[in-house]
Amino acid sequence: MRLRIIAAASIVAVLGVVAATASAGTSRQTANKLTVWLQVDAQSGWPDLVAAANQQFQADHPGWTVDVQYQNWGDHLQKFDATIAANTSPDVIEMGNTEMVKYMAAGAFADISSFKGNFANSANWLAGLAKSGTYGGKLYGVPYYAGSRVVTYRTDLYQKAGIKAAPTSLAQFMTDAKKLAATNAKVKGFSPVYSAGTDWYFAMAFVYDFGGSIATTHAGKWVGSLDSKKSIAGLTAWKNFWQATSKASPTSDENNPAPYNVYSQGTAASIIGPGWFSCCVGNKYKTTTAQFVMPSHTPNKPMPGFLGGSDLAVPAGSSNKALAADWIKDFTSTSNEKGLQAKGNIPNATNLLGTSVNERAAARSWFVPAAKHWVDVENGNILRNMLSEILTGKLTVAQAAQSASANITSVLNQS
Amino acid sequence: MPYLLILPVVLVMAAILGYPLYSLGRLSLQQYGLFELVQHKGKYIGLANFRSVLHDQVFWHTLERTIVFTFANVGLTMVIGVLLGLLLVRVSTWVRIALTSALVLVWSMPQVVAVEVWQWMTNYQNGVISYVLTELHVGDYYHHDWYGSTFSQLSLVTALIVWGAVPFVAITTYAALSQVPRELIEAAEIDGARSWRVFFDVTVPILKPVLLILTSLSILWDFAVFTQPFLLIGQPHLHPGNYLMGVYLYETGYLGTDFGRGAAISVLMLIVVAVLASFWVRRMVKQDPAT
Repeated sequence: MRLRIIAAASIVAVLGVVAATASAGTSRQTANKLTVWLQVDAQSGWPDLVAAANQQFQADHPGWTVDVQYQNWGDHLQKFDATIAANTSPDVIEMGNTEMVKYMAAGAFADISSFKGNFANSANWLAGLAKSGTYGGKLYGVPYYAGSRVVTYRTDLYQKAGIKAAPTSLAQFMTDAKKLAATNAKVKGFSPVYSAGTDWYFAMAFVYDFGGSIATTHAGKWVGSLDSKKSIAGLTAWKNFWQATSKASPTSDENNPAPYNVYSQGTAASIIGPGWFSCCVGNKYKTTTAQFVMPSHTPNKPMPGFLGGSDLAVPAGSSNKALAADWIKDFTSTSNEKGLQAKGNIPNATNLLGTSVNERAAARSWFVPAAKHWVDVENGNILRNMLSEILTGKLTVAQAAQSASANITSVLNQS
Repeated sequence: MPYLLILPVVLVMAAILGYPLYSLGRLSLQQYGLFELVQHKGKYIGLANFRSVLHDQVFWHTLERTIVFTFANVGLTMVIGVLLGLLLVRVSTWVRIALTSALVLVWSMPQVVAVEVWQWMTNYQNGVISYVLTELHVGDYYHHDWYGSTFSQLSLVTALIVWGAVPFVAITTYAALSQVPRELIEAAEIDGARSWRVFFDVTVPILKPVLLILTSLSILWDFAVFTQPFLLIGQPHLHPGNYLMGVYLYETGYLGTDFGRGAAISVLMLIVVAVLASFWVRRMVKQDPAT
């Protein structure tokens, strides 16, 4: 009996060791293989552009293969940290522009300044994106693409409600939303303008539209400023707009459910989100979908939208840095950037910019505070928590803003 | 010779428990963030991580919440599990087979899959629970937010954990019940003991070693639980106001890339759980004069 237990225990131990080494081994680089981490957006939105870059790369470097591994925004940094610890970093990684500072400051990326001339249109990169990939005057991240947030809407429903043109002010948009609600009263849970309760990108647009901000620097320190008069005016306007237009849960986020799924199920006349949302509105509404720029409370101006974007970086632990830079060159070629533009994104350089609704929306934009610890504010869900406290009525706008602001101040000023 | 026999176990334990524990202890005394991770080298800072954690209000609130949560989960798991175990003895063979199969099915469901199913059922847009409750005229649950407050979030997590943990307790209890000699129960009944008296004076003392192990294991599991609260509540909805210890540890150590502080939190968790478990074990052992 005892022997059997010992035997069982040793088998378990051996299995455990096998499992541990097996899972560590999956992302280990083998010779002549370039490992690239891209976000799933590329997998669902533009796999053809990835294939084109791989083809070009393999033509230039015979015998090399490219292993593209798709990651999720939610946990790709934790996975990346684990590869740093295990010395199995990928050779190229896509980073959100708000995630870059912390990693550049920690020395997690290779300096690729010397390759800058090789990247297409590098002299004309979008200023905001180029800045997010530069630290201490050195280049660590190559701008990949940017995206602004727009209103995606059902032309048939707008017409039925008697709305002739896209609204030119927030007040008019509210009036239009009321018309949409009235003409679709029969549809259960119908949102004239669906936006998630804790979609902080959308809520902060109101804050910046009213002249407020998330945090400012004062004497070398960060100070949370959501409790300023202007920020509170913006948050209040957002709350009123949300309550009048969206039937989302007050605690929902913009990823779950995906707004385009709500839209494709026919329970929203419009949704707020990145321009590429037009990809996934469903076959039924493909021909009756269009987009416009979210209007400001000041008539005839766009509301400042969050200018999100991605950079491509080479982790310091990569043993194929020059090749990695070469793949980035292939992936951000002019033709690829034009391909990204065709899918509703903003290309990485000013000389490629067009006049799409997405690009027009980018004319007035806001960006998160450029603080080393900003990503901790995002991960700590300080803003989301504030928004759900406001919508559920747990706290007043002023109370919620005050507590979030104090939190932001303390997180941003960590050593 | 007896030492030689125990040697393999000692070696295995040292390899799979001893070394990680040593590493954890060392890490908890270091400043180890993203910068140090890239350098592959931490900086020794003594007990600074522990001081910072113990001065953090979030730690104490989370600890309190987690202890209440653990007692609720362990209590519900044990009561429902033991009741089901007792039921298994009474029912006819085919009911027992059906019930046992259902329990084993629940038990064999991977945690992540279970979370996904629960998320579908409690979905805000079209969750089946809201639908059924509305159709049964229990109330208007259309667009009911099952994750609207910390209490309801943690209640759902509790339901999920208890649901997943009950089969183990029920089946183990049932197995242990088959060890209770029928004559003892009959003797007690002839002496005029009522059924609850028989249960507490005959069945429970015989079941005690099993209940002791089940309860201790449940405390260990539920105190450090991570998968269910993290996935069911979801990262975008986690904040210091609804952390459990496992989640707090993850958010600090991994999301905040402060591995040293995270290690300090794990060491403190280890101490708390050892105290909780030993308190329980001693109480159980003391009650039994025979041991």
